[in-house]
Amino acid sequence: MKISRRFLCAALAGGLLAALAGCATNVNTVERAQPAATPNYISDKRVVTDNTLARTVRVNAVNQTVVSGNLLKVQATVENLKNDLRSVRYKFEWIDQDGMAVGSPNEGWKVLNLQGRETTTISTVAVSPRAVDFVLKLSEL
Amino acid sequence: MTKLRFNTMLLAGALLPATFLITGCQTAETRTVDASGPQALNTGGINSQDWANAADQLVGSLLSSGALDKSPTQPAILAVDRIINNTQLNIDTDLLIKKIRVALTQTGKVVVTNTMGLGERAVVASEAAELDEMTTGKKAKIIAPNYTLYGKLIQQTDRLNGVTQNTYSFQMSLVAVKTGFTVWEDERQIAKQTKKSAVGW
Repeated sequence: MKISRRFLCAALAGGLLAALAGCATNVNTVERAQPAATPNYISDKRVVTDNTLARTVRVNAVNQTVVSGNLLKVQATVENLKNDLRSVRYKFEWIDQDGMAVGSPNEGWKVLNLQGRETTTISTVAVSPRAVDFVLKLSEL
Repeated sequence: MTKLRFNTMLLAGALLPATFLITGCQTAETRTVDASGPQALNTGGINSQDWANAADQLVGSLLSSGALDKSPTQPAILAVDRIINNTQLNIDTDLLIKKIRVALTQTGKVVVTNTMGLGERAVVASEAAELDEMTTGKKAKIIAPNYTLYGKLIQQTDRLNGVTQNTYSFQMSLVAVKTGFTVWEDERQIAKQTKKSAVGW
């Protein structure tokens, strides 16, 4: 009786592992060993209020550039730390020299779908030359 | 007689909560939400979030391309051409184009001419221009645009195993008036999957 229980548990665990492995949609990547790009990374400050989200999706880096002469463009590299498809919402907000929010008609929450262990980038361009700072918000879907 | 009265009371006792329940369910509840926020309804069509998302991506792409920096005049003069709606949805294409116009105007790199294309020259503005012509005796000077912007919305519907996928393509092109060359174009897609409930009508 004891052996059969142990066997049952092993079979269940094996089945569960097989099912999980079958569901995994992890992403493998290949890239240049010595990247030619020299991104302008910026130091960031992070405020975590949702620990579950922080354990699911991580912002690896944020870099910025200037486009069209005087408009800031920021790009965040986001990684899914889990082994399955995860979706999050994100939003960029811009702030001017005086700390005032610079509104945009297209500012809003966007959905980001990330395959298991996938790393991707999200970016936005400030529509006002007054924008000097930004806030990236992430939220669970 | 007592039994009958008891049954009536029992029936009334059962019906009363049910009535409250039904009337309670019929109460309409309305709340104000952020149009492009997380509470916005997600449907198989194009919702407010999708419009904002498409406009943001297209504007970001146009500004990043540097196409407007090569304009003969600064700011560049832009005329908005037709936006063709080839979707099954009865939509006002201003939901997209107005967002793009506002964003581009905010950059200070573009002024949108209202004398041609999908310009929004209001009746009063038109009359004011006519009045100006009459009082000054000079015909108002109209400046030709440097660029025209046109776009197209396309919907593709695919169905498989009870799942319907609507893929909306937002195509946009910027054409230099003097040369007729397309100096920038981009396409952004938003796909919506809807699964029909297995139970229900």
